[in-house]
Amino acid sequence: MEIGPILRALTRNKLGVILISLQIAFTMTVMVNAVFIINERSKLMARPSGLDEPNMFYLRSTGFGDQFNSEITEQDDLELLRNVPGIVDATAINSIPISGGGSSDGLRLEDDPTLPSIPAAVYFTDERALNTMRLNLIAGENFSGSDVLHQRSSEGRNYPMAVVSLALAEALFPEEGQTAVGKIFYNDSNPVQIIGIVERLQAPWTNSFFVEQAMLVPLNFISSTSTYLIRTEPGQRDRLMVETEELLAGNNSNRIIRDLKSMDETREESYRLDSSMATILFVVILTLVFITSMGIVGLAVFGINRRRKQIGTRRALGATHAEILRYFMLENFFISGVGVTIGAVLTIAFSIALSSLFEMPTMGWYYTPAGMLILIGIGQLAVLGPSTKASRIEPAIATRSI
Amino acid sequence: MFLYYLRLSALSYRRNPILSSLMVMAVAIGVGAYMVIFTLNYVMGGNPIPQKSDQLFHVQIDSGNPNTQADPPPQLTYLDATALLESQAAFRETPTSKFSGILEPEGDSARPFSISGRGASADFFPMFNTPFLYGNGWDRAADNDLQQVTVLSKLMNERLFGGADSTGETIRLHGYNFQIVGVLDDWSPIPKFYDVNNNPFEEGAEVYIPWNLIIPLSFPRNGNTNCWKAPDAGQEGFLNSECVWIQYWVELRDSNEEADYLQFLNNYAAQQKEFGRLPREMNNALFDVEEWLLKEEVMPNETKILSALAAMLLAVCLLNTIGLLLSKFLGKSAEIGVRQALGAHKGSLFLQHVIEAGFIGLLGGILGLAVATAGLEGIKVLLGDDLMLTDWIQLNPTVVAVTLILAIFATIFAGFYPIWRACNINPAIHLKTQ
Amino acid sequence: MLNMKNIRKVFRTDLVETCALDDFSLTVDQGEFVTITGPSGCGKTTFLNIAGLLETHTSGLYLLDDVDVSQLGDYARAKLRNQKIGFIFQSFNLMPDLNLFDNIDVPLRYRGMKSAERKERIDKALDSVGLFARRKHVPAQLSGGQQQRVAIARALVGDPLFLLADEPTGNLDSNTAKGVMALLEEINDSGTTIIMVTHDQSLAQQSKRNIHILDGRISNASNETANKEATAA
Repeated sequence: MEIGPILRALTRNKLGVILISLQIAFTMTVMVNAVFIINERSKLMARPSGLDEPNMFYLRSTGFGDQFNSEITEQDDLELLRNVPGIVDATAINSIPISGGGSSDGLRLEDDPTLPSIPAAVYFTDERALNTMRLNLIAGENFSGSDVLHQRSSEGRNYPMAVVSLALAEALFPEEGQTAVGKIFYNDSNPVQIIGIVERLQAPWTNSFFVEQAMLVPLNFISSTSTYLIRTEPGQRDRLMVETEELLAGNNSNRIIRDLKSMDETREESYRLDSSMATILFVVILTLVFITSMGIVGLAVFGINRRRKQIGTRRALGATHAEILRYFMLENFFISGVGVTIGAVLTIAFSIALSSLFEMPTMGWYYTPAGMLILIGIGQLAVLGPSTKASRIEPAIATRSI
Repeated sequence: MFLYYLRLSALSYRRNPILSSLMVMAVAIGVGAYMVIFTLNYVMGGNPIPQKSDQLFHVQIDSGNPNTQADPPPQLTYLDATALLESQAAFRETPTSKFSGILEPEGDSARPFSISGRGASADFFPMFNTPFLYGNGWDRAADNDLQQVTVLSKLMNERLFGGADSTGETIRLHGYNFQIVGVLDDWSPIPKFYDVNNNPFEEGAEVYIPWNLIIPLSFPRNGNTNCWKAPDAGQEGFLNSECVWIQYWVELRDSNEEADYLQFLNNYAAQQKEFGRLPREMNNALFDVEEWLLKEEVMPNETKILSALAAMLLAVCLLNTIGLLLSKFLGKSAEIGVRQALGAHKGSLFLQHVIEAGFIGLLGGILGLAVATAGLEGIKVLLGDDLMLTDWIQLNPTVVAVTLILAIFATIFAGFYPIWRACNINPAIHLKTQ
Repeated sequence: MLNMKNIRKVFRTDLVETCALDDFSLTVDQGEFVTITGPSGCGKTTFLNIAGLLETHTSGLYLLDDVDVSQLGDYARAKLRNQKIGFIFQSFNLMPDLNLFDNIDVPLRYRGMKSAERKERIDKALDSVGLFARRKHVPAQLSGGQQQRVAIARALVGDPLFLLADEPTGNLDSNTAKGVMALLEEINDSGTTIIMVTHDQSLAQQSKRNIHILDGRISNASNETANKEATAA
C-alpha cells in the first residue's frame, strides 16, 4: 500500500488537514459528551418510582367558607372514591411521589442532634397508600387503619412507625437491609419503628440525592386541602379522571377540585428538563454530523478537482479504479485519524470538566474509542461519493493541456 | 465600488451555487444554534432589575444547624423577619412569601377558584419598581394596621373585572374581604429574583396582600419551608421555631447605608445569641441581586453545558466555512490573475473578497435567524407552557442584531486566511496555463 | 509489438459526429524511434490516447504485444499501461505534493512491487537522469528540464515495452529541449522503443521514422523508406 507517499503528500497540505481534522475533533467532542449526557439522562428517567404509574392519577380538594368541615369531607370523599367501579383503591396523602413538592425529615439512629442525619421523604398518609400505589412489600407488614392518627399539622408531626423503602432501610442500617424490620430510628427525639419494607418508593424530588429514600407514615393531616391519590383498573384511568372530578365537585359545593393530573403527566413534567436536554442534544449531534460531513464532502470535492490531472496521470501510469478510490479513502482515513486523536484528547478533557463542574458521573472508558470509530466511519462515508467520482476520471485527461 | 463588489459577490455565488450554499448553510446553522443558546442565557441569566440591582440586598442571618457544616439557610425565620420589619432599619424593606387561597368571585355563576398569592410589605412595590396599571401599592400604615388591602396582577384583574379599573372594589379571598388598591401592569422579572427558592422561572403571583396578614388570617403558606429542629406543637410553636420560609429584601442606597445595615444585623444577631438563639458562629451578610442569583445558582447547569456545546458547534461551522471559502477563492485563481493583470492591486482584491465573505455571512445570518427561530420554537415546545420563560424566549431586536453582526464578522474572520491566499496568488502562473 | 489496423475513432456529441482517426494503420517494431507529426486537431492526441490505452477506439484492431486490447476491461487496460507503457507528458504531470523519489515510485506501487526492489530501481532511474542527489526535493524546486527528466525516469523505471512521449519538449526552451532529446535518443540507442508525438518538424526530421497525420489519416511516411534503407545498409 502507498501509506508513506499519502502521508508525505498530506504534510504538504497541512491547512486542509488541520481544517478537517479540527472539525472532526470538535464534532467528536460534542457528539461523545452529548451521547453520554443523553444516556445519563435516560438512565435517570428510566428509574422506576415503585408506583403503578400508568393506572394512577391524583387531584386536590380545597374547601372554603365556614360550612366546610375538612375531616368529614375527606372521609366522605375517600368512602365515595373507593366505591366507584373501576377504582381499585384511593388514599389521602400529603404529597405525590416524583411530583416535585413534598416533605422530608432528617433521621438518626439515636436521639442526639449532634449526629449526622439521614434525609428521607415522608408521605403522611393512611393504611390504603400501600395498596393504592401498588408497592411491593418485601418484609414486615403494613400499618392498619387504627394506627393512623388524624391531627392538624400544628399539633406536631410525630409518628411512631413507618413503612420504609429498602434504600432507606439500607441507608439507616447498612448491615441489615430487609432484616431491619422492627428496628428503631429517631426523628428528632421521637422514636420510630420500621414495621415494613417496600422494594422501592421514590421521593417527590427526582433530582435529589436521596430520591430512593422515602417512607409511608400513619399520620393524616386535617387541613382544608386534601390530596387524593387513586389507582384504577387498567385502561380505566382516563375515563375515571373525568368522572371522579365531576363526582367530587358535585358532592360538596364548599370546595374546589384542582390539580387533576395523571402520574404519567407528572413524570413527564418532572423530567421535562431532562427529556428536553436529551432532545436538544440529539438535534445538536445530527446537525454537527451533517455540517461536518458536508465540510468533508466540500473539501474532498475541491481537493479532487484540484488534482484532476494528477488523478488522470495516475490512471495513465497504471492505477485501476479501485486504487484511485482507495487512495482517497485512505487519505480521508489519515485525516480523520488526526481528527479523532485530537478529538479523544478534547473529549476526555471536556468530560472531566463537565464532571468536576456539574457533579456529573465520569464517562465510561468505551465512549471515546467508540466515538473515534464512529467518526472515522462517518468520514469514510462522506468521502465515498467524491472518491468514487475521482476514480471515474478519464486517464486521457493526462494528455490534455489544460 | 462597494456596490460593484456586492454585485461581484452575487455573481460569484451564482457561479458556484453548491459551494456557496454550503457555506451559507454552515454559517446559518452555526450562528443560529449559537443564538438559540445566547437567547436562553440572555433571558435566563440577564439582570432582572438593572436599574437598581446593586441597591437591593437579600438579607442572610445564619440561623442554621450548629451540628452541620451546611450553608446558611437561604431564607429567614418568622422571628427574625418580624424583628427586622419592626426595626425599619433600612431605607426600604420587605419580607415576602407565597400563599394560596380560594377566591370567591361575585355572583352565583362564577365558581370559586384557587389563586397563587404573595405576601409583601408596602415597600415591595417601590423597591422593585413594579409598574402599575391602576392605583398604587398600599402604604406602611396598612402593614402596621393589618388593613385588608390587595394589589392584583394584570391577568387577575382581566379575569375578575375584564381589565377595567378595579381600584376601590373588593374581592373575597380565603373568606375575607380585601379592598383593591392597585392593579399591576405586566411584571415578571426573569429570574424571579425576589424569591428564587420557589422556582425562579415561574409566573409572579396573582394577588398581593400585606405579609403581616398571612399568619393572623391563617392563609395556607406555600413554598419552601425548612426546619433543622422540629418546631414545638401549635401555631405559636411554629412561629417561634427555627423553620425558615421567608425571603427578606432591603433597599440600601449607598455603601454607608450598607455598612450601617450590616452593623444593625450584627447587633441584632448578638442580642439573639444572648437569648440562646443562633447557635452558629455569627454569619450575617447582604447579597445584591446579581450576587444572590450567582450564589443560589439560579441558572440551570444545562444552559452552561449547552453554551459550551453551542460554541463548539459554531467553531465547527466556522472551520467548515474557512475550508469552503479557501476552495472557492483558490478555485477562481484565474479570475484573480486576470484582475491583477488588469491593474487590481492587493488592497482592492482584499476589499473585494472581504465583501464577498461578508455577503456570504449576511445571507448566512438571515438564514440563521430562521434557524434560531425554529430552534427557539422547538425549545418552547419542549419546555411546555408551565414556565413563564416561553413568553420570553423569542427573537428580540437585540438578538436579531447580534445574529446578523455575528454572522457577518464570523464569516469575514473565517475568511481572513482564504482572502490572504487569494490576494497573494501569482498572476503569471495562472495566466500562462490558461 | 504495436500493431494497429484500420483504427477508427469517432467522437459523438448531440449534434455532430467527428472522426478523429479514420482507417489508421501502423506497425511499430522493437527498438524503433517513431515521431508522429501533424497540425493541431489532426488526430495526434487521439492516436496517443489510443496507443497509450487512455481511450478506447471505435473500431479496428489494436494488438499490443500480440494482445488484442479492444476486448480488455478497465482493470486489464490499467495493468497493461502500468507494465508495458512509459508515459512522458508535455507538462510533465509530476505529483506536486510528492518528492522525486515518491514520484518515480508511483507506477511501481501500482505494480505491487516489493519495497527493496522498488528502491533499487528508483535509485537507478534517478541516477540515470542525474537527479539522485535531489531525490527528496519536490517538483516545484526543479527547473522544467529537470522535471521532464524526472518524468522520463518515471516512465523508464518499470522497464516498459515502449515510451509514449507527448510533446516532451513543448514546455521547454530550445537548449533544454536539446538535452531532453539527447537523453531520449540515448535511451532509444540502448534498445527502448519510443513513440513521440510532436508538432516540431525539426525534431521529426532527426528521427529514424516519421509519421505525418492529416485529418485522422497517415498522409505521408516521408522518411520511413529512407530510414528503413538506412537500417538495411
